[in-house]
Amino acid sequence: MKYLELTIGAVLVNNFVLTRFLGICPFLGVSKRLDTALGMGGAVTVVMTMASCITSVIANCLLRFTVNGKVVDLSFLRVLTFILVIAALVQLLEIMLQKLSPVLYRALGIYLPLITTNCAVLGAATINAESGRSILDSTIFGGFSGLGFALALILFSSIREKLELAEPPKAFEGTPIALITAGILAMAFVGFSGLC
Amino acid sequence: MNKSSRSVMTFSGGIHPVGDGKDLTNKLAVRTAPLLERYFVLLAENSGKPPVPVVKKGDKVSKYQLIAQADGFVSANLHAPTSGVVGGIVEVPGPMGIPSQAVEILADGEDRGDPPFEPIYNWENIDPEILKKRVIEAGLVGMGGASFPTHVKLAPPPGKKIDTLILNGAECEPYLTADHRLMFEKPEKVARGAAIFGRILGVRRPCIGVEINKGDAIEALEKFEDRYGISVVPLQVRYPQGSEKQLISAITKRAVRSGGLPMDAGCVVQNVGTAAALSDAVIKGIPLVERIVTVTGDVVVSPGNWKLKLGTPAIEAVKFAGGVTEEPGKLIFGGPMMGFAQKSFDVPIAKNTSGILLLPTRLAVNYEASGCIRCGRCVQGCPMHLMPCLLSTAIEADRMDLAYQNHVMDCMECGSCAYVCPDHRPLVQNIRRAKAELRKELANKGK
Amino acid sequence: MDILTVIYAILLMGVLGLVLGGIIAIFVRVFHVKSDPRIDLALELLPGANCGGCGKAGCADFAKALASGKAVPANCPVSSSEQIAAISLALGIDAGKVECKQAVVFCRSFIGGVQRMNYNGVQDCVAANMVAGGPDACRFGCLGLGTCARKCPFGAIEIIGQVAVVHRELCVGCGKCAEVCPRGVIKMVPADADYHIYCNSPEKGAVKRSICQAGCIGCRKCEKLFGDKFKISGFLAQVNYDKAESVSAADAASINCPAGCLLSENDRLKAAYEKAGKGAKNE
Repeated sequence: MKYLELTIGAVLVNNFVLTRFLGICPFLGVSKRLDTALGMGGAVTVVMTMASCITSVIANCLLRFTVNGKVVDLSFLRVLTFILVIAALVQLLEIMLQKLSPVLYRALGIYLPLITTNCAVLGAATINAESGRSILDSTIFGGFSGLGFALALILFSSIREKLELAEPPKAFEGTPIALITAGILAMAFVGFSGLC
Repeated sequence: MNKSSRSVMTFSGGIHPVGDGKDLTNKLAVRTAPLLERYFVLLAENSGKPPVPVVKKGDKVSKYQLIAQADGFVSANLHAPTSGVVGGIVEVPGPMGIPSQAVEILADGEDRGDPPFEPIYNWENIDPEILKKRVIEAGLVGMGGASFPTHVKLAPPPGKKIDTLILNGAECEPYLTADHRLMFEKPEKVARGAAIFGRILGVRRPCIGVEINKGDAIEALEKFEDRYGISVVPLQVRYPQGSEKQLISAITKRAVRSGGLPMDAGCVVQNVGTAAALSDAVIKGIPLVERIVTVTGDVVVSPGNWKLKLGTPAIEAVKFAGGVTEEPGKLIFGGPMMGFAQKSFDVPIAKNTSGILLLPTRLAVNYEASGCIRCGRCVQGCPMHLMPCLLSTAIEADRMDLAYQNHVMDCMECGSCAYVCPDHRPLVQNIRRAKAELRKELANKGK
Repeated sequence: MDILTVIYAILLMGVLGLVLGGIIAIFVRVFHVKSDPRIDLALELLPGANCGGCGKAGCADFAKALASGKAVPANCPVSSSEQIAAISLALGIDAGKVECKQAVVFCRSFIGGVQRMNYNGVQDCVAANMVAGGPDACRFGCLGLGTCARKCPFGAIEIIGQVAVVHRELCVGCGKCAEVCPRGVIKMVPADADYHIYCNSPEKGAVKRSICQAGCIGCRKCEKLFGDKFKISGFLAQVNYDKAESVSAADAASINCPAGCLLSENDRLKAAYEKAGKGAKNE
C-alpha cells in the first residue's frame, strides 16, 4: 500500500503539476512542441530521482545527528542545503553529459539549467524530508513524481499542438487559452483523487 | 469464374453522392453530332508536352490526317477530326482557364478521309511492339480525365512486372454516363480493346471493373468474356470507385505505396473509352478524333450522350442538346466532383472531356464555412485514409510541415471530404493549395 | 538555539559548499570539452528572428557559419549596419559587404484592373492562381489575397485596395514574400533604389490597356531619355538595377511616365491609400 501511494499516487493522484501546482513555469514554457516536452520530461525525471536520493541522505544523516548524546537539529537549513545540492547536481550532470553523450546533451542542453531552480524538484525533496521517508522510499517517490511531471507535460504539449491550429477568439489566443486548457486538465486529474 | 458466385468488390472509405443525376442520360442512346463549320482542336493536353503542329494556315486536310506531331515521349499525336482547310493556329479559351493554342479547322462539309493505318486483324498473334506502335500513332490518351498518353503506361520500366490489367468502367462521377453507354452499346469494342491491351502487356485475363448500377452494361460485356478472355468485375456503387488506386484496391486487394504509381503494384489501369479507341485504331486503322461526351445537367433541355468530334466548342454541344431552360449557374467539363468549372462556353472539348455539365444556379451555391467541429466524417470518407480536417486546419494555420508529415501529398483531390463536410469547409481546396506550395518547395530543395 | 547549533550550521554549509565546489571543479577538468564560445556570442548578438533570409536554417545555424568563417555578418538581412558592426567586432571578423535588398510589388492595379471571373474559393493567392490562373484578367499582376502578407515575418506587407504594398521601413529583404508569390510579382531589388516601374506584365500595350489602366504600355520614353538606366524586355520597361546610380526624382520628373508607372515608393503608397479611401497616413 505504501508503494502504491509512492508510485501511482505520485504520478496520478498527487501529480506535481496538475494537483500540487509545482513546476508551472516549465509546464507552460516548454510545452509548445511534443519533442521538447519529451526532452524536458526526461530530464526532470532523471534529476528528480537523483535529487530525491541525495537530499534524503542529507536530511537523514546531516541535518539531524547526535553529538555526545545531544541531538543537534539543523532542519532549518533544509531549503538552503537542498538548493545547494540540487544546483550542484544539475551542473555535474550537465558537465558529464556534455562529454559522455553529446547527442543527449544537445537534446536536453537547454532544459538542464532550467531545472536547477525548478520548484518541483525542490518540492519533491522537501515533501520527502517532511514526511520523514527513508532513502529508498524517497528515491522511488522522486522518480515517479518526475514521471508524473513528464506525463502532464506530454499531455499538455499534445493539446497545445492542436490548440495552435484552432482559432479561439482573439483575446484568448496564445497563453490565455493554454492556461484555461491547463485548468481543465487539472480538473480532469481531480478525478483520480481517492484512488489510493 | 463462375458468374453466379461473383462477389461485388469495393475499397474502403469513399462516399455515396445522393441524386447522382445519371438517370437523366443513362437510358438514352448515343447520338452522332451533326457536322459543324469550325473545329478548334486543342494542342495542349492536361498532362504531358503539347504536340507540335505540322500543318499551317490554308493547308487542306482530310479527315484522320496528322495535324500535330507528338513532342517527346510524354506527348500524343493529334489528328484532324474532319476534312477541310486549316484556319490557322489560334488562341482559344482552354479547359484549364488559361488561353491555349488550338488548330482551327474549317470543315468542307464532306467529312471524308481514308483510314491512315493498315488494319491489323490478326492482333491476337502479332508482335506486341507493332500494337504498341499503333497506340503511339493513333494518339491515344487516357480518356477518363487526366489525358495521360496511353503508350507511357504501356512501357513499364525494366524490373517492374505487370501482372494485372484493369479496365476502368466504374464511372463513379455523378451525372456522367458516357462510359456506361459505350459499354452497353459497343461491348465488343471495349472487350476487344481490353484484350489488345492485354496482348501488349502480356497480361492473361484483363479485368473490367463496372459499378453495379450499370447492370445492362455488365450483362452486355459478360457475353464477350469467353470470346476475348476477359473478366467483368462488378463493383459497389461508391465514389471514387474509378480512381486508379481505389480500383486496384477493390479488384486486387493490393495497395499502391505512398507516392507510387499503379505499376508499383503490378497493375495498369486504362479507361474503357481508351480501350474502344484502341480497338478502332487496330481493327479500323483510324486515330482518335472523336469521343462520347455526356451533355447533361438540370438546365439542359434534352440531356444525352453525343459522339462529338475533338474541337467542338461547348456552346455547340449544348445547342445539340436543345439549349438550356434557364441561365446555368456553372459550366463544368467532366463530372461535378473532379471536373473543372469553365468560364467560357467557347472552350472546345478535348480527348479527356467526358462530360459537359450545366448546373442550375440553385446547385452552384457558395457556402460560408465557420469552423471544424472535428466530427470526423471527412476521415471516414477519405479513400486514401488521410485526415482532411487536420490537414486543412494545419494549412490554414500555415503549418505546411505538419501537413506534409501527415501525407498531404497522397491526396488525389477526389473531393469526398469537402462533399461530406457538414460545415462545407473548403477541405480539398486547401489541400490543393498546400500541394502546390509544397511541390514548389520540394523542387527548390532538390535544386 | 545554542551557539553550538550555529557553529554546526556554519560548518555544514561551509563544508557542503567546499565539497560540491571541489567536485564541480574536478568534473570540469575531467570532462572538459573544447567548444567555440563565439557561436554563443554571435547567437546572442543576432536578432533571433529565424527568418532564413541569410540562407541558413535559422539564427543558430547562421551563428555556427559565422564562427567557422563560412558566412559574414552582413549576410544577415535583418540586422542594422550598427548591429552588423557589433557582431564583426565581437567575433573579430570582417563584416563583409552584401548588397541590401528590399521587396517591391511590381503592380499597381488598385488603379483599376478587370476581373475576368468570379472567384469565391479559398482566399489565398496560391489557391486562387491554381484555378484557371487566377481571377483577374491580368495574369502577371498582384492578386491581392495576401499570401505574402501572411508569410512576412516582419509584418512589412499590407494589402491596400487589392494590392500588396511593402512598407519599406519594415522590410529587411529576407525574400520570403518573393518566394511564396505564385505570380512572381514581388521581386527583390537593391534597397537603395527608390523609383520603380510598377508593372509586371510583358504583354502588348494594347492588350494590357484593355484589362488594366495601370500597366506599362512599353512606350520606351524612359529608355529614350535615359538609355541604360532602364531596360525593356518585350513590352515591359524596368529600372535597370545593375546600374550603380539609381533613378532620381529629377529623372522621373523629366520622364513623366505617360502610363504613370514610374513612381517612387512613397508616391505609390500614397496613391494606394488614396484609392483605398484611407487617406495618406504616413506622417
